[in-house]
Amino acid sequence: MNSSTNLPDRHDGLIAALLWYGTLLASAVIGAGILLAAADALDPALEMSAIGYGLIKIGVVIFILLPVSRVMLMMILFLQARDYVYMAIAALVLAIIGAGVLIGL
Amino acid sequence: MDMTTVLWLFAVAFGASALGGMLGMASGIFIVPILILAFGIDIHVAIAASIVSVIACSCGSASPFLKGRLTNVKLAIVLETATTLGALTGVLLIGIIPTPFLYALFSLILVLSAQQMMARRRQLIRNTPPDPASWATRLRLHASFPDRALGTDIPYQVDRVPLGMFLMYGAGVISALLGIGSGVLKIPAMDTALRLPIKVSSATSNFMIGVTAAASGGAYLVRGDIDMGIAGPVALGSVVGALAGARLLMRMPAEKLRILFSVVLIALAIQMMLSALDIQIWGS
Repeated sequence: MNSSTNLPDRHDGLIAALLWYGTLLASAVIGAGILLAAADALDPALEMSAIGYGLIKIGVVIFILLPVSRVMLMMILFLQARDYVYMAIAALVLAIIGAGVLIGL
Repeated sequence: MDMTTVLWLFAVAFGASALGGMLGMASGIFIVPILILAFGIDIHVAIAASIVSVIACSCGSASPFLKGRLTNVKLAIVLETATTLGALTGVLLIGIIPTPFLYALFSLILVLSAQQMMARRRQLIRNTPPDPASWATRLRLHASFPDRALGTDIPYQVDRVPLGMFLMYGAGVISALLGIGSGVLKIPAMDTALRLPIKVSSATSNFMIGVTAAASGGAYLVRGDIDMGIAGPVALGSVVGALAGARLLMRMPAEKLRILFSVVLIALAIQMMLSALDIQIWGS
């Protein structure tokens, strides 16, 4: 019952790696942005504020995209496993998130 | 962007998240009141900023649960159809709902969280064979998880998926409206309706929160509701704090911490309720 009901472990490992390295990337980008903004506050002649703010924004966007890319990855993994019911469920979740973005526009 | 404020935001998010992490709870429920009460930030800005930190904490803490095979990813994606739909509803409602009502709702959720923190989580495990006609059976949701103490895999059933989805929809609405992970609604749904083992319930709930919050976070982002100077340091502080808190989890006397947290939650609830009433008084 177990092997047929769960994705194989390596799939869980892939999802774990995506979320972990994505978190590291987004955190590093936000951290770098804050440091640049701080450098600007100490010495405004450096004019780092705009770059710092831009980096923070990129980091925040990476964080918001991270769960979305996790659902995309799961959709691909379900497709590979020929599990079309779950592929459709993952696609539905993506469609709902997309609808939210459209509402926001 | 005022640098001192940015550093304070980082420090406070770190502290709240580290303390929350020690009790295995998300920090969003503390972040929003702190941003409003201590930093004087508008409630809508606080909610949008907090949603980013909710995503960050969910993603940052998912890996050990996945590797420990505690997360039921199939159940997560099924329930996410309900939580994201709820989040969408919340995004539509937040523009219409009067601000005092948001304060009052937040106050109510804080009280429920305090009550939940003091209550013991009960585990209801059924031993009867799974109903072949149930949603959970047809969607192949029954699974097993490894128990380290016993050294074997323990199979479990997933119960009452439609009821669980209904409650998850509500959790999604609250998450988007208040900028929190709404564990306060997810935990009863997963423990009581779906009757999952506690470890599976916690891991799966934490896994789902990121996608739920991304549904509202994406909408708030394109709407321009997210103040990067606030969201950035709060998200970074929260994720680093959550990781630090999880490490400290074992070393603290949890019972005293629980009581302290409940008191803090009630104090924040009173303050938020006063804010709700104040605005009504000034408004009229």
